[in-house]
Parts: sequence; C-alpha cells; structure tokens
Amino acid sequence: MAKSREELETRIAVLERKVEREKKARVMSEQHLEHHSRAVYEANQSLQASLAMAKKKQAELEFLRQTSGDVSSDISLQELISNTVELTGQFFSVECGLFIVTKDGEALDSQEDNIWRAPNQWVTDTEFFEQAVKFLPLHQQECLSMWLVSAIDDESSQAMSGFKWIVFVNFALLGDKIAWLAFFSRAEFIDEEALSVLGTAREHLLSGINRRVTDVNIRKRTVELQDTVNRLEQAKRQLIQSEKMASLGQLAAGVAHEINNPVGFIRSNLEMLEEYLQDYQTLHESMLRHIETAGQLDAQHYKELCDNIDLAYIQQDAKDLLGSNLEGLERVKEIVENLRTFSHSGDGKLERINLGVCIEGALKIAWNALKYEHIVENQIPNDLPEVLGNIGQLQQVFVNLFVNAAYAMDAGGTLTLKAHVTPDALLVEVRDTGCGMDRKTLDQLFTPFFTTKPVGVGTGLGLSVSYAILESHNVLTQVSSTVGKGTLFSLSFPLLDG
Amino acid sequence: MKGIIFVKLNQFVDELWGEEFWDALLQEATLPSEGIYTSVATYDDEELFTLVGLIMLKQGLSAQQAQFAFGQWMFKELLLAAPPEAHKFTDVFEFLYGVQAVIHVEVKKLNPEAILPEFEFIQETDNSLTFHYISPRHMCYFCEGIIQGLAAHTGQTVSVEQPECVHEGGERCVMKVTKVG
Repeated sequence: MAKSREELETRIAVLERKVEREKKARVMSEQHLEHHSRAVYEANQSLQASLAMAKKKQAELEFLRQTSGDVSSDISLQELISNTVELTGQFFSVECGLFIVTKDGEALDSQEDNIWRAPNQWVTDTEFFEQAVKFLPLHQQECLSMWLVSAIDDESSQAMSGFKWIVFVNFALLGDKIAWLAFFSRAEFIDEEALSVLGTAREHLLSGINRRVTDVNIRKRTVELQDTVNRLEQAKRQLIQSEKMASLGQLAAGVAHEINNPVGFIRSNLEMLEEYLQDYQTLHESMLRHIETAGQLDAQHYKELCDNIDLAYIQQDAKDLLGSNLEGLERVKEIVENLRTFSHSGDGKLERINLGVCIEGALKIAWNALKYEHIVENQIPNDLPEVLGNIGQLQQVFVNLFVNAAYAMDAGGTLTLKAHVTPDALLVEVRDTGCGMDRKTLDQLFTPFFTTKPVGVGTGLGLSVSYAILESHNVLTQVSSTVGKGTLFSLSFPLLDG
Repeated sequence: MKGIIFVKLNQFVDELWGEEFWDALLQEATLPSEGIYTSVATYDDEELFTLVGLIMLKQGLSAQQAQFAFGQWMFKELLLAAPPEAHKFTDVFEFLYGVQAVIHVEVKKLNPEAILPEFEFIQETDNSLTFHYISPRHMCYFCEGIIQGLAAHTGQTVSVEQPECVHEGGERCVMKVTKVG
C-alpha cells in the first residue's frame, strides 16, 4: 500500500532526525574513545615512569645492600675499599675510579692497580694517575663530611680528555693516613639522587672502616696484654728462684756447718789412718832388718813385732775409721744433692713425686737450724701415695716452713710432721710449738715483703712465694695459730686420678 | 544512568512501537541530551524517567507495566553484554546470588562510577528466595521484569511478588521469588 506523500515526508523527517542523532552520537563516541585512549596512553606513560623509578630504586637498594653486606662482613679493609670502588663505579655508571692512601699530603705505596675502569678492571696508568690526583685536595688534612663534585675543565691533558666531572670523598685510616676514593664521569650531568645514595653508602663504609680500625686496635691491645702476662709469668718464675737463692744464702752457714762436721771428722780419721800407715811401715822395716840379721823370722818373733805396734787394735780401728769416713762422705753427698735439687730452677714441670722423700730432703737442708734446740718428730709414713709436683719447688716450700718454725721456737720446741690420706686429698701437717701469730700477722702472712724478722734476716718473700708455688700445685693451704702455743700449716695436695 | 540503558530503551521502543514513536517521544521530551545516546556515556536519571513517563502516557501503561516489560526484554540484552561468568548460571536463585558477588563486581571494574542496586538476602527455602532490593532509583518493577527475563533464560517458571514496596507505601522493597511447578 503506497504511503501518502505526507506520510513519506513525515517518515523522511523522522529518519533525518534519527540520522542526525546517530551522527552526533558517533562523534560523541569517537570523542569518548579519543579521551579514553589518551587516558590509557597517559596511564601507560605514568606506569612506565613508575617502573623506571622502581627499577632505579631497586638498583639503589641493591647497591646499598651490597655495600652494607661488605661492611658487615669479615673481609679486610683493603678488600672492603676495593669492593666499594667497584660497586660504586658500577652503580654510578662512571668510566673510571681511583683509590689512594695518603700521608701528609703525599700518596703512599705503589701506584699499581689502583685505577678502576668499567666494566670491572683494576689497572695501572701512571699518566692518568698523575693527572687525576691534581683534582684532589690531597694536602687537606681534614676529612670530608660528604661527597664533593668538581668540574674537570682541563682540556690540555690527554689522559683526562672527555671526563667532565670528578666525584670524590676521603676518610681517616690508622696512623694519620687518609684514604681517597674518586670517580671520573663523562656524563653531562651528575645524578643528584645517586649522589645522595652514595652519601648513605659512605656512612656505611665509614662505620665499616671504624669497626676494622677498632678491631686492629683491639688485636694490638690483646697482643700487648698477652706480652705483659708472659713477662709477669717470667718475673714470677724469677722471683721464686731469687727467693730460693736468698733463703739458701741464709741457710748457707748452717749447711756449711753440716758439711764441715763430717769433713772435720773425716780429716781427723784420715790423720789417724796416716799414723796407722806409718806403724805398718815401721813393722815392715823391723821385719826386713830381722830377716837380714837372723836370716829368718819365726812366728814367735813376728808376733812380738806385731804386738809392738798394737797391730790388732790398728786393724780394728782402721776398719772403723774407714766406715766412719764413708758414712761422713755419704752425709756430705746427700746434703750436696739436696742443695742441688733445691737450688735447681727447673721448668716448673709437675711430675709424680713422693712427698715423704721431698720432705726428708728439705729437713736435711734445714737441719742445722733445727738439730740443736728442737725436737723433730717426723711421723710421715713411707707408703704415701704419689702426688703431682715439682720436687725442687716443694722442697723450697717445706724448707721455708721448717726455718720459720725454728725461728718461731727460738727457745726450743717440737716440730711435728704428719701426713694422711683423706677421701679428697693427701693432707700434710706441719706443726710447731712456737710463739704463734696474732690475727694481724696471720692476715698478712702471704703478703710479699711482710716479715716479722729483723731487717736483713728475712726477705719477706718466703711465704708469699711458697703460697704461689702451692697455688700452682692446686694445693689448699690453711693456717691456724694461737699466740704462745704454736702454729699449724695444713696443706691439702690433690690426689692423682685412679 | 549508563547510556546502554537508553540505547536499549531506544531499541525496545523501536521494536515495539516503531522509530516514529521514539522520534515523537524525543520531540516531546526536549531532553538535555537531545536523545543522542551512546552506550559508554552517562546521562541524567531524569531523562529515563521522563521517557518512561511519556511512554506510559502515550501507550496508556502503568509504571509497573512499563518497567516490567522493559526489564523482561532487557535481560537477554544485558546478558549479551555481561562478563563470561554470568553465562554459567543455570538456576534463577544461583544467578540472583551471583549478581552481587560476580556480575556487579565485574561491572564495577569497567565502570567504577556506575550506581548498581544491592540485594540483601533475607530468606531462602527450597523454592522461594526473599531479598531486600536496595536502589536509590527504586526501579523494583524493572527488577521484577529482569527476574522474569532471567527465568525465561534458565527455562524455569517463577512468580515474583513484593510483600513490601516503596511505591505501595512500604518502607522498602522486598522481592519474593517463588519457583512454580
């Protein structure tokens, strides 16, 4: 059915309006799309910028992580600085780095392999080095508090050509030395942000260097202390020996007397024996004369001749005299042997020893001080277990105790020696019936140079040295004393295991 | 309101009453946008209400009838534009739950400024689901139509009633969807 003209015109008008709306809608859509695309583009750009920033931050963090890692590690100062130059050069994207140590403004050491070149190589370049250090204020003794940047405007030097900037810092080392780090860049501009990261790295490095410097000082101090300890040990050994010699000096007269006694009777015995030899000579001559005149010697006559010189007595007495001499020599030999043991400084090494034998020897050395006015009751059994000890040093202790006991009993008394085994120790007791000591004296008993003897008689070191010896033997020393009654020293020697 | 709704309304009117009717609506309505709609732009809600009001007037329809018809027709159109997740549902109730959890989430991703209705589920039995329809636009009749369109899509028969409705003097709109048969 054909539409009327009016209807068609209305239809056309509707469609025209529709087309118009569609056109405008399309323009709007395109504008919207354009706007959207731009927004997407901008978002993309911003994301890329963020990514680049994140990567940069990551590189900075990685750089700081590596430098901090080095700082807190145990690598040497030299390695720490070399690593720092490498890491910094790579992070800072420079072509060249430099590390020198100066003292009083002058470069120290060899200038070999002290130039770092990208990507990562240490080289020797004397010409570059000489030109490069001109840009560093080496004469300056103060350390910089931050990285400094200088422009390089020296076009004359071949070695420096192309470099635009030098970035450098320094810090103090031990012995007034200064370490310098410098980096050379060809870049047009210096990245200020990277500089601030370098600042952080510098602080880490400083703390690392300080720590190492402190470590070196501590090691030095430890060596010095060890040295002092060694010297003290040596001094202590010398002191023990000196005190021993001093007490030996005091004992010398007594010991001389002890030796002189047997020497005296040996001599008089020998004189007697000489006379007896003379008598034998006389007998021999009488017999010869008789045989020459009578031609023979009968038994009757021989007996008469023997009776003339009292041969039977001579024979018996000579035997006694020889026995007495041998005994006397044995005594001298023992005293000399004990003196040798006593005076021998030795190495202080502990060996298995019998304390009974040790005490016996000490008694012999101190005998002269005791034998006249004192009774010595040596109740030490023969079957004591062995202990670890240095026989020379322990003899020194006992001689000291015995001489002190004799000194305390100037009007005579009894020195009693006892020993017995307890579950934990071998207990040796040295008791005297002397004047005893008051509290004040007891308190200072082991103090060096404390003595109750008159000037020139004691060194005041005897008991303090004895105490040191007993301590080194892990011996527990106890003293109890009553004024007017006497003193008891109890020494607990540790038992050998097993 | 997103332009897609206007574009679809245009399409719906064209299909039902012809381009001349749509043209006449625009001529009469004198809208700020002049009826130039693109799906990606956003337009004043009032334009929709003006257009729907005119349709009701010219076609002698109630608001309920108009919105319901448009909603029912609109469902399949929206489904075409919906994210792939929307296509996996085979049950009306599942879909209604999924609208909030899945579909509206996807819509928000693409159109952060879009104002979307919220469903607050109140009660569910084997064959009925009751929820609170919350939207500043109060297009509960449109929502009813959408649900019927959805049921047609899943091949189910449902009845939709509103025990409470702001258009009926209620405080809020409550939808009760019941599976029939």
